[in-house]
Amino acid sequence: MINARDLPIKKILIGLVLFFALIFPILFGAQLYYLTVLILILIFIIYSSAWNFLTFSGQGSLGHAAFFGLGGYFCSLLVMKAGIPPLLTLPIGGLFTGVIGVLIGLTCVRLREWFLAMVTFGFAIIIQTLIVSQLAPITNGWDGFGVTKLVPSDFPNSLLIEYYLIFAISVITLLLFRYLLKSKIGLTLAAIRENELEAKASGINPIPFKLFSFGVSAFFAGVAGALEIFHFGYITPEIFGVDISFWPIIYTITGGLGTLAGPVIGTIVISLLWEGLNSFGLTYMRFVIIGILLILTIIFLPGGLVSIGGKLSKYWNKSPDSDKK
Amino acid sequence: MEGIITIISQVVFWGLYAGCIYILLATGLNLIFGVMKIVNFAHGEFLMLGTYITFSFFVLSGFNPYVLLCASLPILVVVGIITERLCFRPILGTGKLNEIFVSLGIIYVFQNVVAMLWTDEWKTIQSPYKDITISWGSVQVPLDYFIIIGITICILIGLYLFLHRTSLGRAIRATSQNRKGAMLMGINVEQMDMLTFGIGAGLAGAAGTLWAVSGQVFNPYMGSIPAIKGFAIIIIGGLGSIAGAIVGGLIIGLAENFTSFTLGGAWKDAVSFIILIIVLIVKPTGLFGGKDE
Repeated sequence: MINARDLPIKKILIGLVLFFALIFPILFGAQLYYLTVLILILIFIIYSSAWNFLTFSGQGSLGHAAFFGLGGYFCSLLVMKAGIPPLLTLPIGGLFTGVIGVLIGLTCVRLREWFLAMVTFGFAIIIQTLIVSQLAPITNGWDGFGVTKLVPSDFPNSLLIEYYLIFAISVITLLLFRYLLKSKIGLTLAAIRENELEAKASGINPIPFKLFSFGVSAFFAGVAGALEIFHFGYITPEIFGVDISFWPIIYTITGGLGTLAGPVIGTIVISLLWEGLNSFGLTYMRFVIIGILLILTIIFLPGGLVSIGGKLSKYWNKSPDSDKK
Repeated sequence: MEGIITIISQVVFWGLYAGCIYILLATGLNLIFGVMKIVNFAHGEFLMLGTYITFSFFVLSGFNPYVLLCASLPILVVVGIITERLCFRPILGTGKLNEIFVSLGIIYVFQNVVAMLWTDEWKTIQSPYKDITISWGSVQVPLDYFIIIGITICILIGLYLFLHRTSLGRAIRATSQNRKGAMLMGINVEQMDMLTFGIGAGLAGAAGTLWAVSGQVFNPYMGSIPAIKGFAIIIIGGLGSIAGAIVGGLIIGLAENFTSFTLGGAWKDAVSFIILIIVLIVKPTGLFGGKDE
């Protein structure tokens, strides 16, 4: 696990990242482009962390866009039809997607990896179909509808306020995930993930815990979806797209699956790479590059970018206790 | 009453024809799963590549598109072999979810390389027989549907003969039944992996040609949904069972066309997943899938 020696470095790093994230807008001025990129990174950090939380229980989802989109739709409908302010709808929308997540989880808890992935993928498509066909009178079908922004744009420095708001939300989210994983629940989830049979033998009923992680994961995916919609101010069924389901997976794998820092690092690195490649005008090439990067990461660096630090320190100071890993 | 029967038999024919493409995809997936015990989520990209190869050769040469099966199938076999060697071999035996993640990477690479080469606009080609229909009782069936169903049957019979009558086919089946045993018998299982993956990709390529010939539109991103459906089919039919794949393919093909007829076209994709979810709730290992790992 974590070396005692590494701890201060880790804390310093986290502190630096937080400090930089706080001070960035002040340093570089509140430029629209940079702030938009940063806000989207924060939203996707919440989303990838939510996806990652599900894998802590040994379940992998290929259709998290279902929750992302449901959160977006439910919250924007609450705002537009019931007139509730956007910020207040976030927990309500999260709860709603959480409940749906538990319901979907009910069909999934008995399934194995591939089947689970298929079923979650299927749910994203089924929900999208519902939105564009039977629910079209409320959701306006494929055309979507406009939504109030999180912070009204006529506010002075609205984007800056939005950035700090979302920053606060993502920090709270990460702290909550950290708390959950350090608690007894986190240990139980790890036991189920490592060996479900042994977990059962030691008196753990895996089903409520699996459902719990489904619910929590769906809750935060829904919040992230709602935040994205409140940022763009418009919602269409594209939000259930296959891409939206795949992004958190790519971010998490590159960063480091099953670690708290993985989704954060992965989202930041891949998003910056993405924007960088975009500025060179590589529209399709960037997908190819990221695809190749993903394959290479899985083959040569299964622990993700997070594991680089550990590997390097092991390489540099070959002290006797570092071999214990 | 007469009208209803006509409509139903029309829908049945559509279903049979749609089922053919799914059966080819699902059979390939099934072979790969049987031998390598991995799931290739990127299988639809081979289908997509098959449609584009057919498209390019059709535009360049103007041959009858059915003849172009002779191009798409072998090319895709080679592409499949390369993909297996570069992407799947290194992760064999590592975490179960890794193959899904690698497939995601492959999906991104294939889709966007194709988009760079051919742009991402919707494309379509016309079959030379598109205006010919055959009356069968009161039902009008396009000749293409018959040809497609016929070709699928031929390919499946060919595959069956290959797997059961040739020593290479027997080696593949042996590997799929017991990998270690096959190794002890002197079978190079890694070569079998490559070969099987190639055959699976080739079948998907053939499905791609049939897809294009039938006049359906295609773009670089069209592969995912049919592939996932192919996967749904083998879950319904049971992993590793070829007969199950055929039954599953027909079920999905028919169900799809009946729902788009009754509930509206929007439900065409969703219905296969609804069937899949119902099947998995009733029997978490698939309809005919008896053994749990």
